[in-house]
Amino acid sequence: MNQPEPTIILDDVSYRYPRSRHYTLRHIDLTIYRGEFVAVLGENGAGKSTFCQTLNGVIPQSRGGRMRGRVIVGGLDTQQATVAELAQRVGIVLEDPETQIFTTSVLSEVAFGPENLGVPPPEIVRRAHWALRAVGLAGYEDRVPTALSGGQKQRLAIAAALTMHPAVLVLDEATSQLDPMGTVEVFSVVRELNRQYGLTIVMATNKGEQVAQFCDRVLVLHGGELIAQGTPREIFADTELLEQVMIRAPQVSQLATYLEERGVRLPDFPITPDEARQGIIHSIRGSK
Amino acid sequence: MSTLVQYIPGESAFHRLDPRSKIIFMLLVTGVIFIVQNLWVAGAILFTLILLWFLAGLPLSILKGLGQATAGIMAFLVVVQALLYPGETVLVRPIIPSLVPLIGGAGRITLEGILFALLLSLRLMAMVILLPLVTITTPMHLFLLGLVRMGLPYRLAYTTTTALNLIPILQAEANTIADAQRLRAFRVFEKGNFLEKLKAYPALVTPLVIGAMRRAQLIAVAMDSRAFGATKDRTYIQDIQMRPMDWAFITCSVIYVALAGALNYLVL
Repeated sequence: MNQPEPTIILDDVSYRYPRSRHYTLRHIDLTIYRGEFVAVLGENGAGKSTFCQTLNGVIPQSRGGRMRGRVIVGGLDTQQATVAELAQRVGIVLEDPETQIFTTSVLSEVAFGPENLGVPPPEIVRRAHWALRAVGLAGYEDRVPTALSGGQKQRLAIAAALTMHPAVLVLDEATSQLDPMGTVEVFSVVRELNRQYGLTIVMATNKGEQVAQFCDRVLVLHGGELIAQGTPREIFADTELLEQVMIRAPQVSQLATYLEERGVRLPDFPITPDEARQGIIHSIRGSK
Repeated sequence: MSTLVQYIPGESAFHRLDPRSKIIFMLLVTGVIFIVQNLWVAGAILFTLILLWFLAGLPLSILKGLGQATAGIMAFLVVVQALLYPGETVLVRPIIPSLVPLIGGAGRITLEGILFALLLSLRLMAMVILLPLVTITTPMHLFLLGLVRMGLPYRLAYTTTTALNLIPILQAEANTIADAQRLRAFRVFEKGNFLEKLKAYPALVTPLVIGAMRRAQLIAVAMDSRAFGATKDRTYIQDIQMRPMDWAFITCSVIYVALAGALNYLVL
């Protein structure tokens, strides 16, 4: 069997912002493998955004501050490679769609990154059409980005990152300002990119339902430390951990915990509505 | 809220001009607005710009918005100049007799003062219309490309266009802050007098500035992540080209400005 290929390696990484004595990230050791879909959970201030920005070198190269340890992404050390080189390995989508729209048409928006890299125009157009198709925005080329819905703006931001041909896509709370429809839109597109193109996904979020449905692995940050990691099932079954970091499990997992406390144990701890439905049917049939 | 500088798609001849033609036009007219001293010439320039505004099919509502935005400054200019400009033709006698030291002669209004205030207002209004006339008819990325093709370094050109892009965003943010204050019964901006409004401005400006700084930091992160400034040989998917219509427009602009300048000196 093939060994999974490490794409991101964090080797004892600690970081503090300029003019701060407090470390926002503390001693993080972590390997993320190619093609994984990883969720990063944690309460506000846990260090999720900081963690995301260390992956494309913006921290510490643009933000300054003090970083200890090493972050290696796609074979590049983020403290030595330029941010432009790293931009071709790691695409990032931020929380606020408005802060990542720089131009006045969808086509020019997705072209912005490769234009900055000096990619020949015919190649940029080819990449742009591919990226817009991949996020379901084909036909929107001449639209004004500011007139798109929240979910569409975030999909545009994803397309804009994709035209740089990254191996890793980082989404920093990219669905927190979206309605439920927009959230599912973004998660579905990202899952598709992960499956179809083998893109490694790192997604900081607190949306338990979607994490359970889409992600392979969950990292839990608390006070800047990586205090737990595991499959969504392992993490959401650990009620003590969830209470400690103030994260809400998917509603069906909460229901399973509630039933378990009252003596009804479902065969497998459910994390999606389908699993809960099957588990409850199984339990009812078993008790007859 | 509609914005006063953002691009509005259109098919007019002015829309179709190369951005460089419009930038050159803007620079030429700005120059002549700065030197013009004649009331009639200033009026003619303002009239031409308003005419262009309608020929380009731009909305009257924005023109009204621009008028309202500058009305306060213009009123202030008229009052100050009317009272302070040293003129011969006295329309209103001084409130304080001129024999009183230091403040003697205050309150005197002269015809020259009013005419000068009118001239300043016309020039200010022309300046205020000129920039939106170009930005509303030119997509921002083409405006930027125009600046780059005219020799401005990309970073500088980008900063200029980003500043223009930020105007509507800050307008929207100021409105959100004002709404939030209104919801907490803070109604000074609607009902307060001038002094009360002046005192209340920090409450509006402080969150606006803090928000803008936070936004600027996030924009910088997003721009770095998309390799902004990575190479000097940046490419552009769209190109711009000067056509005969552009050369004709530039020629007309030069003649127009030269004529305005000449008339200004001849009539003076």
